[in-house]
Amino acid sequence: MKGKYKITVKNNRLQYEFEIKRNITVIRGDSATGKTTLINMLRQAENLGSSSGIDVICSAPCRILEGASWQLILENSSGTIFFTDEENAFINTKEFAEAVRNSDNYYVLITRESLYNLPYSVEEIYGLHCSGKYHDTKRAYQQMYQIYSGYHELPVMPEKIVTEDTNSGFEFFKAVGEENGISCESAGGKSNIFRLIEQTGKESVCVIADGAAIGPEMDRLYQCALSKGNIYLYFPESFEWLILSSGLIQGKEIRTILAHPENFLDSREYFSWERFFTALLVEYTKDSHLRYSKAKLNQAYLHERNRKFILESIQGITFQ
Amino acid sequence: MLNVYLGEMEQAVYHPPTYFDNRYEDEWITEELSVEMIRDVDHSEVISPHLIESPVLGPISVREISGGVKTLILMAFDSSGRIFNASVCGDNCAKWILKIAEEKELTINLRHLMNFGSGDFEIRILNTDEVVHNMGEFVSIAGNYV
Repeated sequence: MKGKYKITVKNNRLQYEFEIKRNITVIRGDSATGKTTLINMLRQAENLGSSSGIDVICSAPCRILEGASWQLILENSSGTIFFTDEENAFINTKEFAEAVRNSDNYYVLITRESLYNLPYSVEEIYGLHCSGKYHDTKRAYQQMYQIYSGYHELPVMPEKIVTEDTNSGFEFFKAVGEENGISCESAGGKSNIFRLIEQTGKESVCVIADGAAIGPEMDRLYQCALSKGNIYLYFPESFEWLILSSGLIQGKEIRTILAHPENFLDSREYFSWERFFTALLVEYTKDSHLRYSKAKLNQAYLHERNRKFILESIQGITFQ
Repeated sequence: MLNVYLGEMEQAVYHPPTYFDNRYEDEWITEELSVEMIRDVDHSEVISPHLIESPVLGPISVREISGGVKTLILMAFDSSGRIFNASVCGDNCAKWILKIAEEKELTINLRHLMNFGSGDFEIRILNTDEVVHNMGEFVSIAGNYV
């Protein structure tokens, strides 16, 4: 499944309006913000159609995924946006993650739990809020807001950098750090970042990780950063996205793709966006001196001009 | 005292709102604590044991109050001895969980990092048998389990 979908769900009293553009969207936030009401309205509309009195406006079918037959439903569905409410414990299972992988559907999951089996983006974790009454002052207007829109406590001049990457991304920031007296450590994967930053002392630490898949870690990393005060979180889509968006690799097509990646990547092929950006960078550099490999950093990326391009595209971190 | 078991807990009620719908007692709804919690979290008024006035939905039944408030009411009044999954409660329920635990020994299951606010509190983490006193201490331990 590709693309961005605008969804409107409304009855006489409530109107929900939001857009989704990735295979996995998570809704959490305060109690009594209308999450379960949204699910109930979608369920009634699915079961009774227009005779429910509920309008669901979307270019893709919107369905509820719940109950013991969820696997059977997914096996026989494509091009559908599925919504699940928080009573469905199956969303935290490996079986569900496997079903989402390679699936031609989008998923909107209502839960406060961190779904460690699923690679969702920090950008796609939302809460719901009422943004006022709609036109006739009778209908309440519900919209989504990004829970972690303000997590960047930048700018920062870090004394230490922690990367999620173990290979190219780590090698790049290690080399930049060595030149500027900044230590750099690889966490060896996103699930190790929390324990690593928990053990840090008073030095300012900047964590650099792939925003496209850091969603499950975000709760504890954000709370840890808030508590400690010396932890700074920088989550671009991925290291490869940083290179692509820096302008180092020329091409109008790259800019077009980066402006709306959702129109170019298929959820069946890419479980999360950072894998798409890696494939894109490998493809666009394969015949050049900047030939990219995730496993080992091409030293050309450390040449002064190239490095400068990449570093200048990083907003909020001062390396020297 | 609030006791928290972090992470998966097989014997806990995973979705307390469903349990509430099938087990609540009318008299729980008109208790002063329930009236206050429904007013604070749901911005709704208890009219009678069978009727709630919601500013958005209009007159609604008790079954239509939020899952968070249903779980708080269970924590306060259910005497079955069951442990409820408090991860169906948003952060706007946290102060009420602490308040309920001031009056009784309350054990809950948490599967996410609930924000208990910037003040001091006392929570016993059952996984490690440690008592934490603020969010920094809580996150430091809970982050390993949820």
